[in-house]
Amino acid sequence: MGIDDIPLFSNLRGRLGWLAERQRVVAQNVANADTPGYAARDLARPADFSESLSRARGVEMARTSATHLPSPSGPPSRFIAEASPDSETTPDGNSVVVEEQMLRMAESRMEYDAAIGFYQKSLNMLRLASRKPGG
Amino acid sequence: MSDPVGTRNSTMAVAASALRAQQSRMRIIAENIANAQSTAPVEGGDPYRRQVPVFQTREIDGATGVELARVRQDPGDFRLDYEPGHPAADAEGYVRRPNVDTLVEAMDMREAQRAYEANLNVIETARAMEQRTLDLLKR
Repeated sequence: MGIDDIPLFSNLRGRLGWLAERQRVVAQNVANADTPGYAARDLARPADFSESLSRARGVEMARTSATHLPSPSGPPSRFIAEASPDSETTPDGNSVVVEEQMLRMAESRMEYDAAIGFYQKSLNMLRLASRKPGG
Repeated sequence: MSDPVGTRNSTMAVAASALRAQQSRMRIIAENIANAQSTAPVEGGDPYRRQVPVFQTREIDGATGVELARVRQDPGDFRLDYEPGHPAADAEGYVRRPNVDTLVEAMDMREAQRAYEANLNVIETARAMEQRTLDLLKR
């Protein structure tokens, strides 16, 4: 049994991956804060982080009807980046507000710290459980 | 799975591409300001024309970075000064001055600075997050 078979750990791992990915999306937005026509994006928050993690292991999109086209080569990313324009759009069509992106970044960082903290605490509990009695 | 470290490296690559783009933008602003008074080398000729950077998205490690696509010439009108004694003056005594407004350039420079700082912030945060993960190994 791997450590990822424990639901808590696989959940945390999915969450860490999501936060790192979100950080990347924010970096893209900030990098393109002056690119005409660029629309700000954000990562959709999955309902179940461990489920989104297992989806990553080469699982194809479900085809519920024979008329559906098969997915090309699976999703490039486990999480879905969707358009999420900030509060303002400039006349050249750019919808990135750097302040809001900074906020999002700080939020991701805090959540990341929290998730790492959880991970560490849980690891310590596992260590405690596997220690020799009285040792 | 796409590992978090790989994701973070491309985060930094994206931010770095933006640093580079803003740096080039600063260079163009510097050129504009430096040549704000440059007149034509010949009589009645066109002086320095203001340059404008054009950014566009670029794919970097599967993420969307940014690059300076090209430098556009500002089609705006030149300023006309009546200065018959000037070597670049035309037959009527008018000198054409560059269409550079130093105030606009100063604003642009501020904006480039802000964007640069924001991207540095992104790198710093990505670095801190990675550090936090590496700290797991310490205990």
